[in-house]
Amino acid sequence: MTCQPESVTAWVDGGLTAEERERVAQHVEACAECRAQAESETALRTRLRALPQLAARAGFERELAGRLRSRRIPRLARVLLPLAAGLAVAGFWLRGSPEAVARELAFDHAKCFRKQQLPAKVVGNDAAVISGWFEAQGTSLPGIPAPAAGLQLQGARYCPLLDGTFVAHVYYRDGPRTASLFLIPRALRMGTVLNTTALGRQVRLIADGDRTLAVVAENAADVEALSAALGRRLALLFVP
Amino acid sequence: LNHDERFSAEALPLLGALYSTALRLTGKPQDAEDLVQETFLRAYRSFGQFAPGTNLRAWMHTILRNVCTDTRRKAARTLQGGELPEDGPPVAPAQEAFGAERDLERALAGLPEVFREAVILRDVEELSYEEISGVLGVPIGTVTSRIYRGRALLRSALAGPAR
Repeated sequence: MTCQPESVTAWVDGGLTAEERERVAQHVEACAECRAQAESETALRTRLRALPQLAARAGFERELAGRLRSRRIPRLARVLLPLAAGLAVAGFWLRGSPEAVARELAFDHAKCFRKQQLPAKVVGNDAAVISGWFEAQGTSLPGIPAPAAGLQLQGARYCPLLDGTFVAHVYYRDGPRTASLFLIPRALRMGTVLNTTALGRQVRLIADGDRTLAVVAENAADVEALSAALGRRLALLFVP
Repeated sequence: LNHDERFSAEALPLLGALYSTALRLTGKPQDAEDLVQETFLRAYRSFGQFAPGTNLRAWMHTILRNVCTDTRRKAARTLQGGELPEDGPPVAPAQEAFGAERDLERALAGLPEVFREAVILRDVEELSYEEISGVLGVPIGTVTSRIYRGRALLRSALAGPAR
């Protein structure tokens, strides 16, 4: 075999096929010049391998890691921002949706009456006391019917909706029958009256200017009785 | 481990080696920083395409090489046919090296770039011929030839009287 310096380089680096390696090995054994090349390349490789890393400016690694982290936030934000915007739009839309509000009220009604003791902040069956209590908190109720169809006034409080709005919640009970009167401090996307069913409860929403009244009960008759009483009050209030 | 944790654990430790190579290739710390930063940003974006089990070091070097090529192409365009970027580094990067080490860094810096990068990838970064072939996008025969030529030039530079 004649001298093939490039093959010697590959041989030094452990390249080549087994067959080629064997051939080059034999040649290097016999050829002083190629042996010198192999030894010299091996020595050079050892020196190059031992070269220390050239250090970067102090702080470069930290800055780079910081830039990478700041890339991560937009990545996340690309997903989260539209999601948040979507939720905000959905939330805003739901705020004005009578069905969504009815569902929340029905849920709140069930939650309050499920408790051993009603979580009322003002207790009693005196409509004037309850009206006065709300008045003192800045809520003017159009009227509190008591009693209606045997349903007795029990007390009242403010209950929070999911969007953070507080609604006036007045409790009625007659044995196992329960009913609620709500005042939501905003108008909903609906006509004057809307009857619906939510979570197995009857819900009637009544528009009252920029506010909405709601009656929730287990059966339609109680809703009817309570809102009729309310209607009389409303009529009295609105008729000069 | 998720994408970010894996990247931090596996790729970030290669920063020192990549910076070192970038500096030996460009000769300018600022250029090396720019190259390494862009390399890591690209690597971070496409880390999902890295095949586990293959050599991450080689993968990162491939990106570094691509960034280097893109940067030069851009620079050449902005020069509008004026002077082209010089081939070798203007100064030896071994600021703190001394003695034999300094001589070696100088000799390395004096190599034409095609040979310098082949020798660095093989002898400093210890990539295999196959990996270097992938990084540089040339056949293994060309890799062998460049390493041979690079080492020969280095040996004569080190043996020569020029200092």
